[in-house]
Amino acid sequence: MRQRYLIRCVAAGIFVFLATWGNAVHAQETPATHGLIREPDFIERAVIFADRRQGNGEFTNGFYPDLFNMIPGAGWISAGPGYRQWYAKDRAFVDTSMAVSWRGYKLIQGRVELPTIARSRIALGAHYRWQDFTQIGFYGTGPESLEANHSEYGLRSQNLIGYAALRPFEALSIGAQIGWLSPSVRPRGGWFEGNTADTRTVFPANPVYAVPDQGTFVQREVSVTADTRDFPRHATSGGLYRAAVADYDDSEGVFSFRRYEAEAAHFMPVAGSRVVIAVRGWLVGSDTSAGQSVPFYLQPSLGGDNSLRSYADFRFHDRNMLVFNAEGRIALMAHIDAAVFLDAGNVAPRVSDLNLDKRSYGAGLRLHTRQQTFGRVDIARGDEGWRLLFRLGDPLALSRLSRRALLAPFVP
Amino acid sequence: MSRVFLSLAAVILVLDAASCAKRADLQTPPAAPQKSSAAPAITLWEPPADLSARNLYDGPWGVRHAPDPKDVYTFVEHKHSGVNIGMDVVDSRGREWSVKQGYPSGLDSEAPVEVVMSRLLSAIGYHQPPVYYLPSFTLKDDWGTHTEPGGRFRLKEETLEDAGPWSWNENPFADSRPLRGLLVILTMANSTDLKDSNNSIYESRANGRTERWYVVRDIGSALGDTNLIAPRKNNYPAFEQHPFILGEQNGYLQFASHRLYAGLVRDRITREDVVWASDLLSRLSERQWQDAFRAGGYQPQVANQFIRKFREKIRQGQDLSRRASAQ
Repeated sequence: MRQRYLIRCVAAGIFVFLATWGNAVHAQETPATHGLIREPDFIERAVIFADRRQGNGEFTNGFYPDLFNMIPGAGWISAGPGYRQWYAKDRAFVDTSMAVSWRGYKLIQGRVELPTIARSRIALGAHYRWQDFTQIGFYGTGPESLEANHSEYGLRSQNLIGYAALRPFEALSIGAQIGWLSPSVRPRGGWFEGNTADTRTVFPANPVYAVPDQGTFVQREVSVTADTRDFPRHATSGGLYRAAVADYDDSEGVFSFRRYEAEAAHFMPVAGSRVVIAVRGWLVGSDTSAGQSVPFYLQPSLGGDNSLRSYADFRFHDRNMLVFNAEGRIALMAHIDAAVFLDAGNVAPRVSDLNLDKRSYGAGLRLHTRQQTFGRVDIARGDEGWRLLFRLGDPLALSRLSRRALLAPFVP
Repeated sequence: MSRVFLSLAAVILVLDAASCAKRADLQTPPAAPQKSSAAPAITLWEPPADLSARNLYDGPWGVRHAPDPKDVYTFVEHKHSGVNIGMDVVDSRGREWSVKQGYPSGLDSEAPVEVVMSRLLSAIGYHQPPVYYLPSFTLKDDWGTHTEPGGRFRLKEETLEDAGPWSWNENPFADSRPLRGLLVILTMANSTDLKDSNNSIYESRANGRTERWYVVRDIGSALGDTNLIAPRKNNYPAFEQHPFILGEQNGYLQFASHRLYAGLVRDRITREDVVWASDLLSRLSERQWQDAFRAGGYQPQVANQFIRKFREKIRQGQDLSRRASAQ
């Protein structure tokens, strides 16, 4: 385990070094305008480098590196080429990308959208996504699932979705989408496999393994989202408030269910955003008819990079889930924040049984530009011990919401 | 099937011929820059006869072509290329502008530098498109009207048509002093983005005359250092520390230039080229220097620092002439 962390740290160091290496002989440090400590030149250059690569963000035409599209558990880094093109004075865009992660997760996606119909009040789009995830964790269902029952499964799926959004105001979006999902649960595989058992071996009686093949799902969802965050990938002010209800109709007639979600995240700047207090709560509930159940890969889950950080990815599964995160960030340097955080939540078979009994707390560092957190190190402590995380992206970016596709597995 | 194949081949041949014609346009230099009523004159530089009278605040296109800071600009589309954020907008007179804004981080904004460099180059005889700087502006988009961070405003001027890029190494002026002098000035400014695609051929139509201008555009990656990765721009401490001329070898000067573009000046620039460019810049008055930086939105104390360093480099260039005489 220690060797794996060492490899990660060395690789991270090499990445940062390569990104910032150059002839700095003639350069001089510029006084940091933001932060407790003067920022060394190489960090500021890394930020400049990242900022320039970011360009006009999602409005930049041409090739781009796809670094942020994977799910937790895919490994500490994923990368691949992306290509985006805008047409007709921003009335339409096409975006496509593929990526491979540290653990051999693969993803290909394509999206077309008309975002400015009726003076930006209406957006229409379609999204296709093929993904092959190889080592998704499963520990059994329920809040009392045992760490010792750690198993992994592979999930290959295709998803095609059509969506529409009505935006009466810039920050408010009323969305509707209909999609088709074809999942296939497979034996675990990929790269850097440990000795973890396959889920079919540990949980052979699970309903998912009672059917020879997973059916296809037709998903319908409506949602209301208010998003006032200044920069979604590195929010320092504003908030996101969302409610959604989705209906999953299984062609095999065994895994049909309805999902309800309510989520709120709020970011409060203090002292000119030198300090940011972030809080977030997320409630997910499932409802099934008699004879139906929620397959484990679509059950709400908890644990990992963005939810309970001291717990393993996908540590807890059940029909319902509640999580609360609080994070305080202080600008250590102009582009490095020190963070302390507290996560709490749980899963339960009934909504009324939900509580905040699973907790983790810890501290970390965030390397960011003004718009985006592009690297972080967190050390977290909880009932199941310590966990060290090195990840790209912000833990509270809620990036799953920017993916229009129906995510399988459920991603906390 | 064969008909489809032949049609496809014909299309490819036509496209290739068009592409060859465009390449030939870049590669076949005329014997000398020419001016006649039949063919458009091709120019890179014209002697600045009235240099001392030139207004570097309003620039070569004057206040008539400047954006009105009080106007409301209507959003057209986002900028889709390059590393700077920006957009195209239309003003109340129907004029279309390309706006280049600063980086989101606020670090190393190119926009002010581009305007300053444009003013300096146009003052000493190099053609430039109409560019201006606004610190902020009022934008009307689908969601209403609000104040937007400013930047470099480049007018899409009707009499000026962008006819594509030109190459530093293959152009009608490849072995001319004005071209080498231009490289000297850009090196003096620590320019770090000298790719061919930043050069534009403009067809200028005025007073019944058409001219083809060879123009360096997007020249805001300067006034910093020339680090290979993430070079600083618009950064006085970096600009101040970065040397200009490193030495001389086989009759050619060696510069502390950006590694990617070092080949443009290696074994190409002589003392005479540097002296020529330095003499031209030395003819600018203090007022003109101040106006150039004021046009880029610089505060006087910051402008003075850059100007002092520029003048130091100009003196270094002019000293080459004196040293040559002494030898």
